[in-house]
Amino acid sequence: MKTKHGFQKKLGQLVLDNSVPIMFIIICAVCIPLSGFSPSYLLNEVVTRMGRNTFLILCLLIPIIAGLGLNFAMTLGAMAGEIALILVSDWQIWGIPGVVLAMIVSIPISILLGLLCGKILNRAKGREMITSYFISFFMNGMYQLVVLYMMGPIIPIVHESIKLPRGYGIRNTVSLLNMRQSVDNLLAINIGGVKIPVLTFLLIALLCLFLIWFRRTKLGQDMRAVGQDMDVARDAGINVDRTRIVSVLISTVVAGFGMILYLQNMGNISTYSSHSQIGMFSIAALLVGGASVEKASIGNAFLGVILFHLMFIVAPSAGAQVTGDSMTGEYFRVFVSYGVIAIALVMYAAKKRRARSNAGQLLAEAQKQEENA
Amino acid sequence: MKSKRVFLFRLVFILVLVAVAAVMLVIGRGHTVYFDNVELDYQGTTYETPYKLVIYTGGEEVAKLYDGERGMATCIGQSLDLTLEITQEKGGEEELVSVTLPLPYNMDGVVINLSAYLQDLPEEAYLSEFVPVVTETGDEEDVVIPGDDMMMGDF
Amino acid sequence: MEHSATLDARKSVFAVMLQRFGLPRLIIAGFLLLLFIMAPFVGANLTVQIGNVINRFSWNAVLVLSLVPMIHSGCGLNFGVPLGIVAGLLGGTISIQLGFTGPMSFVMAIVLATPFAVLMGIGYGALLNRIKGGEMMITTYVGLSIISFMCMMWLLLPYSSPTMVYGLSGTGLRPTISLEGFYDKVLAGILPIPLTEDLSIPTGTLVFFALLAFLIWAFLHTKTGTAMTAVGSNPSFARASGINVNKMRLLSVVMSTWLAAIGILVYQQGFGFIQLYTAPNNLTLPTVAAILIGGASINKASIPNVIIGTILFQGIVTMTPTVLNSMIHMDMSEVIRIVVSNGMILYALTRKTEGLR
Repeated sequence: MKTKHGFQKKLGQLVLDNSVPIMFIIICAVCIPLSGFSPSYLLNEVVTRMGRNTFLILCLLIPIIAGLGLNFAMTLGAMAGEIALILVSDWQIWGIPGVVLAMIVSIPISILLGLLCGKILNRAKGREMITSYFISFFMNGMYQLVVLYMMGPIIPIVHESIKLPRGYGIRNTVSLLNMRQSVDNLLAINIGGVKIPVLTFLLIALLCLFLIWFRRTKLGQDMRAVGQDMDVARDAGINVDRTRIVSVLISTVVAGFGMILYLQNMGNISTYSSHSQIGMFSIAALLVGGASVEKASIGNAFLGVILFHLMFIVAPSAGAQVTGDSMTGEYFRVFVSYGVIAIALVMYAAKKRRARSNAGQLLAEAQKQEENA
Repeated sequence: MKSKRVFLFRLVFILVLVAVAAVMLVIGRGHTVYFDNVELDYQGTTYETPYKLVIYTGGEEVAKLYDGERGMATCIGQSLDLTLEITQEKGGEEELVSVTLPLPYNMDGVVINLSAYLQDLPEEAYLSEFVPVVTETGDEEDVVIPGDDMMMGDF
Repeated sequence: MEHSATLDARKSVFAVMLQRFGLPRLIIAGFLLLLFIMAPFVGANLTVQIGNVINRFSWNAVLVLSLVPMIHSGCGLNFGVPLGIVAGLLGGTISIQLGFTGPMSFVMAIVLATPFAVLMGIGYGALLNRIKGGEMMITTYVGLSIISFMCMMWLLLPYSSPTMVYGLSGTGLRPTISLEGFYDKVLAGILPIPLTEDLSIPTGTLVFFALLAFLIWAFLHTKTGTAMTAVGSNPSFARASGINVNKMRLLSVVMSTWLAAIGILVYQQGFGFIQLYTAPNNLTLPTVAAILIGGASINKASIPNVIIGTILFQGIVTMTPTVLNSMIHMDMSEVIRIVVSNGMILYALTRKTEGLR
């Protein structure tokens, strides 16, 4: 009797802990039949999007370990990746060498931006997330300054096909036709009509291995200590500020790589909008996979990518079926993305507050006992 | 001592990255190559063209050129390996020739007069730069900067 | 000896001023001053420019004012302005739907927006009371969620007024609705002082703002108002002196939401159009940046902050396109707007003195 009760309680806890993924499974289960897509189409889309986005989502894990929460400033890495790709496509380096070169070029830009971001976040301890959110907006302005005004007169851009007709600044879209899906197509295999980009998945696996290895290194352990309690970590002789900066740095560089992989799959750069959406979508996807602000695993990232994109693909046509207007579905998926982030943030803040008041109560009780004794 | 080793390690790492980048710059340079099968006047002599040229790269046919025609192929790297199937006269024997064309680094588009090349003329004779005609459509492209965006769009 | 002492004193006075005013504010004010000086040289009509700045000030001031109560009660910068805006939009559209026209439609819009604003404010305030310490991040996402939720609603709600819905299908609101015949310039049209042919100082709107600002100022000096400030500046002290912290915060959130609802209606009557769907999102950052530029911080804000900040921010937004365009033939105003507003918010977030609560 008692064990059954315990089991029920455990199950309840499990459902509560995974409420967001479960909610999403239900949304998908309702929307998929409504949308009328064939399973093979859905499978194909999900596999493509997994290859495209997982790298970007994984870059969020390290700042979470270091206690910085969700790194909204991963957009900075995306910007670095875009700048690198614009330069490489102006130099006319094609195919896989172009992708590799873009990654190398993105590293110094990412490091610079990551350093700046880490420094700013160290000045805003305790509200890193909102600060990183505004860093991404602020740097978006700087990015436009560079790409719209400096590329051409200051940073040499040769090809007219990339430049705006006025002679400076970059066009709204830059074509990556010559490196389009070059990574995806190499070693790709086709199983039952589903194209699997093996090389892309190998790269993702490599990143996962790196993350697992990194967690066990001295630096990784330090990061976890900093994430748990900054003061304790400082007393233990860890350079807290530096550790936090390094975590942001790694995240930014990985985000830059991820963005390059993402764009080579898309085949063109939307110069002024690609990066701004990436942060939000990646964070939403990670949270959909059951991650929280303080705890996220590689498994969360994979589950999140699958569930989020299933919803993303089916929502517009399901919405069109129900309401007769495809825009409803599009607004719905935007609403769900924002809503999921809002819910995760509320749960985190409420939990933190509960923990704080619990600690306060324990302290008060301890004091009382001391007084009694 | 330790910091020196770390510094050295980083230096080597950066050098390796720079080296890889340099290699990529060389092997990744993309060219668009245009093949001409047209008559050419060079230093007073007129060079005749074969009747038909079929061009293969990497086992795939990229162009079949009769007299006065132009074909196109894209290529990544510093040189282009071609297999040419030459028919000198209508109904005549086909002849297979394998050639490797070096491509100049600083040209995006390269025009190669194959008939001139096959008759061993110097590079300045058979090779010229392709200058794309800039077609101004007239309507200035507006830059659309999304405001404090609402993440509408695909991911 | 004496000389150097006065120099030192002067230096320290300057330093104190700099400290109080903040370097970014000084740069922004200097930049605006420079724009005004440059304006006549590049052929811009200064009267028109100043008139434009005053007009845009009158549109935005109430929205900026709406941030004050929440900052006072310690809820931080209200990135959830869209919540109030949505209440205002509902009020405005329902008023038109019910067939009100002219000035009456404005009054009815305010009346109809009020219950929405109060209800949403109560829900929003209750939420914020559960998550003390994490307000700003959550207000941001509550704002974004409500906008995208309302995007669906504007399509689905059973509006039918032909001035507002799509002509062909007869359902779903249009993204931009003209207010002509409804409350277009309803405040601005009261006793306007003409500047040029088609530009005048909107006396009515300015008086309306002054009235609201005075009411807020007066409220903050009542017993409840001081209690609210106490909650914001020192919550544990406030609790110890018997103030119901949660109730005060809830009240401030309701006030902020209601003011934002009024604010968007005032904005619309000046602008002449109702903008729906994702448009409300574009008002959040300018609003928050304005109050910060005016000298407010995350937990301190006053009416002068609102006025100075709105003038400075709207000044830059209106002046940069004209002046820079004719000076260097580049329209950099959008980039400047993004950098200034977000830079200002970042500056406020990273000030060490305001550490953790």
